[in-house]
Amino acid sequence: MHDDDGGDACSADSHRGMLGAGASSGRSPSLPYAVEHTKRSGKVLPLRASFWDSIKSGFLNNNTTQVVEPASNFIEEEDTLAQEIILLESTQSDGTLEQIMFSSAGDVDAYDVQALCDKVGWPRRPLTKIAASLKNSYLVATLHSICRAPGLEENDEKKLIGMARATSDHAFNATIWDVLVDPSYQARFICLNLSDEELVSPLLTGPGYDFLGDMGRGLGKALVEQLIRTLLQRDIGNITLFADNKVVDFYKNLGFEADPEGIKGMFWYPRY
Amino acid sequence: MPAAPMAIQTAEVRAPILTLHRTKAIKEFDKKHILRRVTSAMQSHGPLLPLRSPWSSPIPLPLRHRTSFPTKPLCLAASSSFTVSDGELESRGFRVRRNPGGLDVAALNEVFARVGFPRRDPERLRRALGHAGEAVVWIEELAGGKPVAFARATGDGVFNAVVWDVVVDPSLQGTGLGKAVMERLVADLRATGVSNIALYAEPRVVGFYRLLGFAADPDGVRGMVLSRKNFQKQRKTR
Repeated sequence: MHDDDGGDACSADSHRGMLGAGASSGRSPSLPYAVEHTKRSGKVLPLRASFWDSIKSGFLNNNTTQVVEPASNFIEEEDTLAQEIILLESTQSDGTLEQIMFSSAGDVDAYDVQALCDKVGWPRRPLTKIAASLKNSYLVATLHSICRAPGLEENDEKKLIGMARATSDHAFNATIWDVLVDPSYQARFICLNLSDEELVSPLLTGPGYDFLGDMGRGLGKALVEQLIRTLLQRDIGNITLFADNKVVDFYKNLGFEADPEGIKGMFWYPRY
Repeated sequence: MPAAPMAIQTAEVRAPILTLHRTKAIKEFDKKHILRRVTSAMQSHGPLLPLRSPWSSPIPLPLRHRTSFPTKPLCLAASSSFTVSDGELESRGFRVRRNPGGLDVAALNEVFARVGFPRRDPERLRRALGHAGEAVVWIEELAGGKPVAFARATGDGVFNAVVWDVVVDPSLQGTGLGKAVMERLVADLRATGVSNIALYAEPRVVGFYRLLGFAADPDGVRGMVLSRKNFQKQRKTR
């Protein structure tokens, strides 16, 4: 077990982790899952109200600029996003097929989530509260490992290995919480050098690669990235989160900005 | 010191692993404010002891167990520990409203426009208000029924909440209305058990929120926002 804490600054190398779900054409027809297409829509983005326009304090004077929010937000993204996406696939020497699947269906129970929290070392939270937090989340995204032994197509072994969720007002803002990846999936797999056009393909391993830290970041990155794509596709324009100092760079690499225009995240912290 | 967890953690980790200091502060605050108010609410229905109280099991649970209380205790909202009381606001011609019922979306958009926020699509705004549950506090001008101050929060109802759209009509800024809505919104969130309440503050209002008990970047936690441009860019560089 290595002692990388998963929060080191991500180098450009970690980008070579994960794949989106795109396929330029239907290769590998044996794949039972829908693989969605990535399409550039070619729409022109109209000028829109930015995050900080809506954040500018609404209770101090001197804020008389009129800003108009367009009726709908165009997304320079694909038109459809599959709910389930195979991120990785590998066939072991004994013929077992393992797939890592992202899902935005949120089909996960509190027990599994609690077990995952245990694995990453979080203190225990009451099961009822975990269940409530999942139920009240706008989007719950999961990573599952699906193992299929050769010849036993009906008995897939499905295991929760990652989760992230987002709360939202269903209209304007979403906040991402609880990004988790099972530590034991950070030490496996490994080389991926796949571009958007390539389908999931068997993984390559070799002596030259050392991704022990990268894979966890790779899976976490893929998880958050797909979560974001789902939110954008649902037309949630403002995606936010609060990041521990150690992982600020991880999120920067995904496109997040810390303190945009000096806007600070603040937490209620009673003093008396 | 155990090996640091491998997971990529957002700051929500800090909620279950609230730093010792913050946890202690929150517990003390509860003891002082929330539990006392709830006790008075309970007492108005009869004593907590002896054993047969109207809604608890035969063995009364200690006060610390929130599950033994009704989900919205009666007097929790109307506490005298707010800076400006509901009564005082009434005497000034305002009424505090604790849910979005009766809130005119068009009128709210007017206030947004007057403070320089973008006007929101009314349908979306209605949708957002509908999903805020009880985490909406607004102040109604009794003469006319228009909203003059507003704040809402989103969250999961048990762990986390984020406050959005805190506005006060420019003609009434500086008169304590912003504080009034914020204090009540925080109290309502705390009453449901949410201990992790966050928001995004422009530099010149950081002080305002600090006075209300918010701290910027506690324990080094940073608020972050997705730049769509950067997101698309990093996706293409793979």
